[in-house]
Amino acid sequence: MIKYRGLSLGLFIIFIFVLLAIFAPIISSHDPSSIYTDFLRISPFQEKGFLLGTDDLGRDILSRLLFGSRISLLVGASVVAISLTCGTTLGLLSGYFRGTVDTIIMGVIDVLMSFPSILLAILVISILGPGLNNAMMAVAIVGIPNFTRIVRSSVMVEKNKDYHLAAVSSGASSGRIIFKEIFPNILAPLIVQATLGFSEAILSVAALGFLGLGAQPPLPEWGIMLSDARPFIESNPSMVTLPGLCIFFVLLGFNLMGDGLRDYFDPKLKRR
Amino acid sequence: MRLFKYLIFLSFLPLFSLHAKTFVYCSEGSPVAFNPQITTDGTSNNAVSYTIYNRLVDFAPGSTEIIPSLAESWEISKDKLTYIFNLKKGVKFHKTKYFKPTREFNAEDVLFSFNRQRDVLHPFHNIGGGLYEYFQSMEMGKLIKDIVKINDYKIKIVLAYPNAPFLANMAMPFMSILSKEYGQHLISKKDADKIDHYPVGTGPFIFIRYIKDSQIRYKKNIDFFGTVPVIKNLVISITPDANVRYQKLKTGECHFIYNPAPSDLPSMKANKKIKIVQGAGLNVSYLAFNTEKKPFNNKLVRLAISHALNKSAYIKAIYMGHAIVAKNPIPPGIWSYDDSIKDYKYNPKLAKELLKKAGYEQGFETEIWTLPINRPYNPNGKKMGEMMQADLAAVGIKAKLITYDWATYLSKANKGEHSLIQMGWTGDNGDPDNFLNILLGCASIKTGSNLARWCDKKFNSAIVKAIRENDQKKRSILYKKAQKIFKEEAPWVPIAHSVVYRAMLDEVQGYKLSPLGHDIFSTIKLEKSKK
Repeated sequence: MIKYRGLSLGLFIIFIFVLLAIFAPIISSHDPSSIYTDFLRISPFQEKGFLLGTDDLGRDILSRLLFGSRISLLVGASVVAISLTCGTTLGLLSGYFRGTVDTIIMGVIDVLMSFPSILLAILVISILGPGLNNAMMAVAIVGIPNFTRIVRSSVMVEKNKDYHLAAVSSGASSGRIIFKEIFPNILAPLIVQATLGFSEAILSVAALGFLGLGAQPPLPEWGIMLSDARPFIESNPSMVTLPGLCIFFVLLGFNLMGDGLRDYFDPKLKRR
Repeated sequence: MRLFKYLIFLSFLPLFSLHAKTFVYCSEGSPVAFNPQITTDGTSNNAVSYTIYNRLVDFAPGSTEIIPSLAESWEISKDKLTYIFNLKKGVKFHKTKYFKPTREFNAEDVLFSFNRQRDVLHPFHNIGGGLYEYFQSMEMGKLIKDIVKINDYKIKIVLAYPNAPFLANMAMPFMSILSKEYGQHLISKKDADKIDHYPVGTGPFIFIRYIKDSQIRYKKNIDFFGTVPVIKNLVISITPDANVRYQKLKTGECHFIYNPAPSDLPSMKANKKIKIVQGAGLNVSYLAFNTEKKPFNNKLVRLAISHALNKSAYIKAIYMGHAIVAKNPIPPGIWSYDDSIKDYKYNPKLAKELLKKAGYEQGFETEIWTLPINRPYNPNGKKMGEMMQADLAAVGIKAKLITYDWATYLSKANKGEHSLIQMGWTGDNGDPDNFLNILLGCASIKTGSNLARWCDKKFNSAIVKAIRENDQKKRSILYKKAQKIFKEEAPWVPIAHSVVYRAMLDEVQGYKLSPLGHDIFSTIKLEKSKK
């Protein structure tokens, strides 16, 4: 167990956040967007009922953070789901068939990859218009190349193995070979990439929210909370710190888990 | 030995003075254009109108008093219909990289400038769309019957009817004087568009260059006919974020910052190197209903929203108390302000009932346009939008927040594309007409500055009558009547009249806060205080 210290710590952090997200309405004592004008910019632990204080409009920060964790986790999950599906399909096709298919797919992927990711996301949003759903779509599109590349290279390795030759010689169809034979064998790197993709997605969507292009108010998204609190960085530092810490811990959790999984799946490390 | 010390001291002097002669003003946004005839916003006024141009008459720094400028003196006929201006001799236009003037300012330039806005046949009238928001909203075209050049230094303006604030209007930015010779030069080069972007004026500073959304550079006009500025170079550094402006002020990157954020004021006051100037601004911040669109053409809906918004909460959260709740379209500092008018109280229950009466029991969906940059009358439009959104949600109205960059925001709003829009106004000449007519008069629908797109016959006839009246008491009665009609019909929700702030380094001397919201740089000196 000691070997997987990072993995278990990551899992633990994520488990806590998932619990908080699920039970957000029960734990929080306020609606995240209700405004209490008599309690503006209260510091943490100052006022009963507002454990972590209030923001500049008098909204309970604890409730906003809790509901924000719902948004962030949901964002991570859906972004990964979309880019995983698209990216894997493309990667399988191009890695297995090679030739023209490969050239076309990888050409598009190379173009996508040559854009700085946040710039590409902003580009997509300027076409789709700002909003949480569009931000997720944008980040998902940006995330596709990572999956495609990993899947493609893994498929190319697997194709040279004997079981593939056996399947071909016993007359299996391409579809069967791709999905039933090869796909299960490339799951390990894919899972690692998906976990890391989670943290990337959460960060990108928060960044877009910070720039005002992602989630729109009054959604209690962490990126928006950060940008909203920025004017008060000197007078009420807790307003900026708290959502920042939340993003930090969730990302830490996913990154630890991703690293841990990589170690777990690595046969060379296992043998040691 | 002592002599030696002096010598060392003296040898450093030029260094210090060189540094002290560039003044950096950190503004909140980019000017819309470099010609006050076509702009209406305070950002453009500060960057262009008072730095580059002059008018026949000007406001004295820090007040609304009218002083001679390009006109040395003037005579007004007894029937108040004829104004004769005696122009100053020997005034030179700016010598710039793109234009070298060969003659001095004279009556031709006055005709050229005024007629661009007045005369459809003027070669520049249609350049840039032919829309002169101020000139047309104030119906100056109808008011000015004729402009006659008596000789090179004497000009006569004949009015169609007496107009009380006429002289004050002449001091407003849109009546700035441009060079006719420059205009002809541009036409001969087929570059007429440049007149609005490469300015040539007579003012205290000469335009050098503008890097969009970054900075504007000027040098002092050594031939200026008034007091030549002390500072050698003027740099306007465009810094939209109020907190960044404050950080820049702290590090000395800016000498002077426009509109510090209310949240930064306590820490500025504690900083010994920074001083703050404050004054009651002649301004109003409001939420306008587009009364041409459903459901805001229904008065009940407008009243419901007037009752639904918790204005005192906005004052506390957005202005941090540095403002008072507004109930009228004009600020209390302006004569004829009607204090007897009762404001609609914050009452979500009543608002719901009114919506029910109007047939919107289930509420409706709409959009609120929020100000993209901080204005003297509204430090944070987006935040105020969020509060409005929450207040409207409480009575069943779902509002989406929308914003554009400043120039787009203004141009789309002028076309009437909005439903609910945040806007505000700082008075230009201290006259109630400047608020009531430009912002709510029927003539202003076409030019766009009437964002409510509201034309009430009774209201309009009162303000039109008032402007032709010379007796201030009679005018006051008419304006009070107009304010009553405004309150009953509620084309806006007036929100706040805010206190205006400027912050600057201790070494900045000679600045006077104008009640009209201008920043004048020609009197500014930079000197280390002798403590």
